Amino acid sequence: MNIEMLPLEIIGMKTDLQAVVHTLRSLGCVQIDPLADFKDVSARPLALDRDTLQEQEDMNFLVARLEGLLDILGYPEHSGAVSSPEILLDQARLEVDQLLPKVQALTSHREKLLAEQASLPHYEATLRKLLPIIPPSAHEPGNSCVGVLVNREHTGVLDSVCKRILESSAGRAEVVASDIDSSTRAMLIVFPIGFIGEIEASLGREDVSRLRLPAELGEGPPDVVLAALHRRLAAIPVEIKEIDDQIVFLSTEWSEKLLSWRDALRDVLDANNVLSQFGETDMSFVVVGWTPAKDLEKVVSTLKKYIGDTLAVQVLPLTPELKKRAPISLDNPPITKPFESLVKLLALPRYGHLDPTRLMALFFPIFFGMMLGDVGYGAILLVIGLVFLRKYKQGIIRDVLLTLVMGSGWAVVFGFLYGEAFGTLGEEIGLRPLWFDRVSAENVAGLLIMTIVIGAVHITLGLILGVWEAIRDRSRSHLLERGGMLVGLISLFLIVAIVLDYLPPGLMTPAIVALIIGIVLLSASLGWLGILMGPIEFIGLIGNVLSYLRIAAIGLASVYLAKVANEVAGMIGSAIVGIIIAVLIHALNLVLGAFSPTIHSLRLHYVEFFRKFYEGGGRPYQPFKRQFGSDSWRSNR
Amino acid sequence: MDAGLTAIGAGLAVGLAAIGTGLAQARIGSAGAGVIAEKPEALGTVILLVAIPETMVILGFAVAAMVLLLGG
Repeated sequence: MNIEMLPLEIIGMKTDLQAVVHTLRSLGCVQIDPLADFKDVSARPLALDRDTLQEQEDMNFLVARLEGLLDILGYPEHSGAVSSPEILLDQARLEVDQLLPKVQALTSHREKLLAEQASLPHYEATLRKLLPIIPPSAHEPGNSCVGVLVNREHTGVLDSVCKRILESSAGRAEVVASDIDSSTRAMLIVFPIGFIGEIEASLGREDVSRLRLPAELGEGPPDVVLAALHRRLAAIPVEIKEIDDQIVFLSTEWSEKLLSWRDALRDVLDANNVLSQFGETDMSFVVVGWTPAKDLEKVVSTLKKYIGDTLAVQVLPLTPELKKRAPISLDNPPITKPFESLVKLLALPRYGHLDPTRLMALFFPIFFGMMLGDVGYGAILLVIGLVFLRKYKQGIIRDVLLTLVMGSGWAVVFGFLYGEAFGTLGEEIGLRPLWFDRVSAENVAGLLIMTIVIGAVHITLGLILGVWEAIRDRSRSHLLERGGMLVGLISLFLIVAIVLDYLPPGLMTPAIVALIIGIVLLSASLGWLGILMGPIEFIGLIGNVLSYLRIAAIGLASVYLAKVANEVAGMIGSAIVGIIIAVLIHALNLVLGAFSPTIHSLRLHYVEFFRKFYEGGGRPYQPFKRQFGSDSWRSNR
Repeated sequence: MDAGLTAIGAGLAVGLAAIGTGLAQARIGSAGAGVIAEKPEALGTVILLVAIPETMVILGFAVAAMVLLLGG
């Protein structure tokens, strides 16, 4: 069922604008729409003054910075209290200006350390290659080292470099070279530190790059640098841990406060943003929107109480054009409420049209139960559903769990009717079908016919609702289409009943005439294409009825898999192995048993049932209310 | 021999229909996954679209049941 909505127009003095905005937000039951959606209301869009726009821009910038900080420090579970919203902007800006550089410095240092931690192992591999060729002179005081690695294909270059270095250092440099692997030749040049310029120049002239290491590792022979590298690698995690500890400390100290500022600022921004939907004249403002009929009195009395008689609140006439734009809010009893989520999964119903939630709440669990139809599986899913319901207190997961619980309850009921517990295992422990055994070959035909009858009833109900909707909506094409389908389908049932001798043969001619009339009406709804499409649509309708065979098919697949599990367990020599295999197959069947009937029940509703009457595409009712902000802040306002 | 051919016929009725359904669902499913990535609120519509070709295999099942029950 959807709640009755009323279009509202509120006109007041500009001096009361902020008070009206805050009162509407506190009420939380008025959806504010753009003025342009209400053609009959004439006013120009409200223009905000420069100071307000500047303040909004400042707040947006501050919110972005606060969110940046919260991304680093982490979002707390609860926000703190904001003592005074009036000084909020200045206080938050000032403290964020102080905190942000600290946090940025910490994160930037952390990133640098991580990059260093990732790169040092690469230098380690290179330095290790040079270890075997270190001459003793490398460790003498006053000497320096330069390492060079080149591809072995270019060893000629090294010879030339070696000659130049010896010349430029007057023979005081020592050059050691060796092949260190299949593709690389290493050269280590040891020289008095005073010749560093000449050595660099010699390498540069031959276009050979020396091995350059991070400054943090210092200078020296490769073994000394390698030891420094190991010390650095050991120190980096400690430094990272220190930074993390500081971030955690800052988070403990600041994050609740930051979140409360963020929420409070977004609250103020929300209030300001809604002003863009207002209209104005020279002295007054105008706002339009929707409120549930049951809340109208509350809205009027509260606005009068806080603003006074200078405010006019009036309900606008609900023209067909406005009705198309009316937001929708569903209102169903608690037991059917979870199925609203399943309806919304497809689309919200349009305002003024049928809400199929209650019908879905009736049929969905029954279809689920008919497909699964097993005491054992049903009981396990019921327990699983109930256990998880304790964890999930709200949201779509809770709704899905509730539908699962209801479906599982019906699965247990049908399990007793079919005499099934873990497939054929129930029979072994003395469970007998209260209705019929669907595994038995002689009952399969009956099972199939039963599902087709269920499909026929379900679709006929859908078409009756569709005809009723078409009459309410005064839609001729829908009336012809759905009415034609309904007449044709009922005629077809009559023909089948006559053929099976349930009805006298004399009714055959009227039934065939009615069938033809139904198809002609259906074709007429489709225009000229109807000559071709009408009969095809009718065949599609028969396909829709046959689609309910899936109730039998899914159920049989499940029961045969369970039967396989039980029989495989008996065929294996070892009892323990047999039981393990049986449990695994039953577990698989249980998962399929939860998933498959859900999907197929959904499909039967979405494709076969809803398409006969359902008008989706509704606009959700989103009242203007506080989205953010702590309770303490609210109370302070 | 007749019983064997009947069983093969029933198997083909379901099996070939299942292949057809599978091919259709593979294409619709991959496109649907893309749609959901861009527009999560379209989940219901995608389930509906993926579910549509299943009618083929259900009709195949109906034919198989008829072959087994009436022909066997």
